[in-house]
Amino acid sequence: MLDMLPQQLVNGLTLGSTYALIALGLTLVFGVLLIPNFAHGELYMLGAFSTYALVGAGVNFWLAVVIATVIVIALGVVLDRLVFQPLDHSSSLSLMIAALAASIILQQTATIIWGSEPRTTPSPIPGVLRMAGFSIAYFQIFVIALTLAAWGGVWLVLNRSRLGLAIRAVAQNKGAAQLMGIELRDVRLATFAIGALLGGLGGAILSANFPVYPTMGINPVLKAFVVLVLGGIGNLWGAILGGLLLGIVEVMVAGYISSQLQDVGTFMILVLVLLLRPQGLFGRVVLER
Amino acid sequence: MIKTPKLAANLLFGLAAATASMTAPAIAQAADLVIGEIHPITGPAAFYGLPESQAIKAAADEINTAGGVKVGGTSYQIVIKTADDQASPTVGVAALRKLLGEGAKFIIGPIASGVAPALKPIIESRPDVIQLIDGSIADGLTNGKTIFRNQASVQAYNDALTRLTKARAYPTVAVMTDRFHAGFMGSQKTLVDALDAQGNKVVAQEYHKLNDTDFSAQLTKIASMKPSALVLRGYPAEGALITKTARQLGYQGQVIWEFVSPPSTVLKNISPAEMEGVLNAIPPTSQDYVALGNEKALKLEARLKKMFNAEIGELSTLSYDAVYIFKAAIEKAGTLDSAAVAKAFTQLKTTDVPMAINPYVPGKDNLLFTDGQVGLPGGVQIWKGNGWQPLADLKH
Repeated sequence: MLDMLPQQLVNGLTLGSTYALIALGLTLVFGVLLIPNFAHGELYMLGAFSTYALVGAGVNFWLAVVIATVIVIALGVVLDRLVFQPLDHSSSLSLMIAALAASIILQQTATIIWGSEPRTTPSPIPGVLRMAGFSIAYFQIFVIALTLAAWGGVWLVLNRSRLGLAIRAVAQNKGAAQLMGIELRDVRLATFAIGALLGGLGGAILSANFPVYPTMGINPVLKAFVVLVLGGIGNLWGAILGGLLLGIVEVMVAGYISSQLQDVGTFMILVLVLLLRPQGLFGRVVLER
Repeated sequence: MIKTPKLAANLLFGLAAATASMTAPAIAQAADLVIGEIHPITGPAAFYGLPESQAIKAAADEINTAGGVKVGGTSYQIVIKTADDQASPTVGVAALRKLLGEGAKFIIGPIASGVAPALKPIIESRPDVIQLIDGSIADGLTNGKTIFRNQASVQAYNDALTRLTKARAYPTVAVMTDRFHAGFMGSQKTLVDALDAQGNKVVAQEYHKLNDTDFSAQLTKIASMKPSALVLRGYPAEGALITKTARQLGYQGQVIWEFVSPPSTVLKNISPAEMEGVLNAIPPTSQDYVALGNEKALKLEARLKKMFNAEIGELSTLSYDAVYIFKAAIEKAGTLDSAAVAKAFTQLKTTDVPMAINPYVPGKDNLLFTDGQVGLPGGVQIWKGNGWQPLADLKH
């Protein structure tokens, strides 16, 4: 059994990096704007479909990823403008229902445009790295590296730029930030755009790893919410560690206990964390203002 | 004043239209035979369901052109009413109720093994309704009275698989099954027992579900056991991803699928090179009959092209046959009365349906149905180039 351990750990890291990549954008939007954006999964889906369509039309994969990401950023901003901004002062329940409605509308639109049949973009980095004890596709190594790079990029924006300072200020205290002259509309636009970028980029890249279909975003976004709870809402590093932890736990449950219990394991962890450490494994307790 | 003639004309037109709408159905019903069909026209299984629906319409068109269904001195024109179940039990139940509400007593479908069991209690509560299942392979669906099936049972799939594994004498086998597929899960134990009994020791049973994207944990476990064959039971998109992942994790044994997999769907998820040599243990598909030069299958293929500009689907011939089986039963009964038609179903012989494309194996007294189920031999296909080809020699 232990001879499988290195491979299962690699499997878990690979799976977890995909969860983390999707959770990054979600945690940013949730942490700053307090929007439980269930439609984040559909931004991920649209990134994947756009890439698939562009590659099918003969566009180079990497260029297709860039174009698809830009398309999704634009859609994300439109989504915020049409769906969430009008509900800015509404309850979180209204925001959640609006997010679910947007999610369903985007899924149905994708079904009308592309149909429901699953399809996968050919991998741009073929080949497998085989080491003693484990093997991993080169493309999966790239996904792990991209996840870390995405985290690094967002961290730099948040911690080394005026925009990041404004975003953090709004996340901490919206009213005080406004009193300090921060333009909330700009912060909102930037936050949603970065969130959409991360979702679109994740979908565009992972379209070469996973089947693409209109409802492909549902499961990852549910897992991403679990990651948010594990890592602490709004905590970027928590999203990375939470994603990797969730991936490893899922793989270990399937590999060493039973593949029938894979999802049960995930949600058992969620319940345990909510009971024992509701602020998340890497989050801090904050007082409700 | 100026508008009066126009108003009067409109009223007259409206009255005429209303009169026509009241009388037209009465005239049409006298010579119409309504057959309802339930298939996934949209949703994740549309690549199965849409070609089936088209084949039903092609068969109805062919029969209507040839004079319709003859009952006594009347020739009935078949009218197909389509309901989309989206491969979902909830939607399927609503679709069936819609068809029944529209007066359909003869039903073809469904395909999804999750939908068929949901429809069964409704059909059984209506003795005037006859169902012919042309897709779902789950066990326990037919009752031999009002519910029949011209698709193979899951047992026929398993028989094809066990013949293959026996012929190739695989010492060890791993099985990976979609845990929400009613047909496969219901027959899992029987299959595993059969494999073990004939010397193909089952060393691993793993599970996944529709729309899963990561199978690495299960496949790592399987690959570490080095089974001679890996049997996949589920759907094509997951099958493609599992096959790719298994190779990536270093599994070098034979990959065997056990589900209908249109090449167009397969190739959207895996390259031909990665599929080369994969086996599929299922009853022959429509495309097999086309590849083998079956004249009736070729004719259906041409009709589908002409009517819908569509390719023949893997299960199209079953749906096409289903319409002809209804025709044969109704003509044998000599009435549209459901009880008589249901009785005729139980008395149909394979020779009563000469237009059938699939080579149904006659049961006792040459009957087409035994307890509501046809006999369909299983077969094996091998992936070569861009599609499946019938495999004649199971050993090589």
